[in-house]
Amino acid sequence: MPLAQQQVLEAAVIARGRKRKRKLREDVPKHLRANRTGYLLIAPMVIILAVFVIWPLLNSFYMSAFEISFYKEPKFVGLQFYLYVLTSAEFWKSIGVGLYYAVLVVPTGMLLALFIATFIKSLSKRAASFLKVTVYLPAVVSSVIASQLFIFIYQDHGVANWLLSLINSGPINWLNDPTTALPSVALPGIWLGFGITTLIMLAGLLDIPDSYYESAQLDGAGYFQRMFYITIPLLKNVLLYLLVTGFTLAIQMLDLPLLMTGGGPLGSTTTPNLYIFNAFRDRTPYATSYSLTASLLLFVVIGAVSLLLFRLIRSDKAVDA
Amino acid sequence: MHGLPRRVASAILVGLIALSVLFPLAWMAIAGFKGRNEAVRSVFQFFPDVWRFENYAAILSDGPFLKALLVTFLGALVFTAASLTVNTFAAYAFARLDFRGKRFWWLFCITTMFIPGMAVLLTSFLVVAQLGMLNTFAVLVIPGAASAAQMFFFRQFYLGFPMAIEDAALLDGATRWQILLRVFLPQSYAPLVVMGLASYLAYWNAYVWPILTISDPNLVQIMQLLGNFRSERGTDWALLMAGSTIAALPTVLLLLIFQRFIVNGVRIAGLK
Repeated sequence: MPLAQQQVLEAAVIARGRKRKRKLREDVPKHLRANRTGYLLIAPMVIILAVFVIWPLLNSFYMSAFEISFYKEPKFVGLQFYLYVLTSAEFWKSIGVGLYYAVLVVPTGMLLALFIATFIKSLSKRAASFLKVTVYLPAVVSSVIASQLFIFIYQDHGVANWLLSLINSGPINWLNDPTTALPSVALPGIWLGFGITTLIMLAGLLDIPDSYYESAQLDGAGYFQRMFYITIPLLKNVLLYLLVTGFTLAIQMLDLPLLMTGGGPLGSTTTPNLYIFNAFRDRTPYATSYSLTASLLLFVVIGAVSLLLFRLIRSDKAVDA
Repeated sequence: MHGLPRRVASAILVGLIALSVLFPLAWMAIAGFKGRNEAVRSVFQFFPDVWRFENYAAILSDGPFLKALLVTFLGALVFTAASLTVNTFAAYAFARLDFRGKRFWWLFCITTMFIPGMAVLLTSFLVVAQLGMLNTFAVLVIPGAASAAQMFFFRQFYLGFPMAIEDAALLDGATRWQILLRVFLPQSYAPLVVMGLASYLAYWNAYVWPILTISDPNLVQIMQLLGNFRSERGTDWALLMAGSTIAALPTVLLLLIFQRFIVNGVRIAGLK
């Protein structure tokens, strides 16, 4: 599913999950026990997940420990592929590119979203719903269309260079210069994603009681004071959630660099998933095992960085409303 | 700032934000009206010299393009129906029924939400290849139909219904299937629309899975076709932008029609 939709779903899931401590058994009275109907109802779900998610995952672990080629029997090699991946300069370079991409996309998107969400909150109902739909619009556009569109925008005589020429600079070879290529890929990334971030933040903003702002205004607090002393502290958990999910989504970006640059120039836009994807499609020996191992290790890296982000931000005490 | 000046400033800001968000899309649609070499010629011009409809006409009479649109549309409908069925059924069972091993199967489903996409993408490709599902309609529809996140969403919704519903219906001799189909599903219009749209969009916009699994020209998906456009047909930006505009139109229209549901679907109470 598109990353944006996934993010909303996760927001809903996490929100509900926190609210309601699971008590599966107690929820349902005894007389509603129904083994056969229950199994029939969950069967399609369980079977699909087992065949296309759980089994493939277990298979990944299995295959990452074997040399597999079309001509020979699989040969057990233990952790050798893990060693290959971990000592591969390209793998670490792609992690660096992924982190850089996340740094370009996530804070920018969140700042934009925070600004627009606070603005929408101040608007009349009609203007607010117009703007909500407008900022959400890019989220329904596919990454394929966004890539083609932005490649077009970045053409030598495209609109990006025309805008630069207005301030007597450029033209820039956006996607072919290693220094500008990744920021150029990040721009459509921000465009596709910030709308959903805005809506999630807005939902959080609407939960802050108006009385806080009213009394602050009576005390003469300006826009930035209200932002830093009321909005941001009270929105802290929402912001943290958006930061971590935004980060994990961004570092896993695949479509945009795949379509816009293919990872070039000089590997400057090869994100971790693109590196893995290209390795998988590569017809070199053991490409399958190598790319699977890399995808498992990437998960470890993502988990570690998310944890680090949580720690860093949680360390200075959250303000509870 | 109070009163009128403030309102004017707000209105200007609304306009500016809308303009900068929508500009790329407008630019795409406008470029579709330009001539073949006009779209990227060196003297920059915002609007076309003459508004030409040739590109749109060419796209709308292009066999492979129309076929991909139709195939993707049908696929998206089937996929949406399949995913709603699979996910609501499981959600109903987990929310309203009790059966042996429920907790285990619940964890089994929920765990899949936290598995990284890439690890699954590659090996599930190997699985569908082994199952002989490559280049079939099934490979597009079945593997993605079960979504733990969607199922969770429906389950939370069903947990909110009073238990008296089942008590009364069972007393009247209704079966649980009847309760699900006649009581619960008709009551869940809003979540069905929100999740149905999410499924539709996911299918319509999919790119990586189709390029891995589909090479049969009869099954090529619309985003796959657009993604390969320049390598297969050469660079005709005006034509490509016209095609992109038409391919984006269905999703934009869906958003506009169901805006009320989508925009209000984002609820995060309790996250704080």
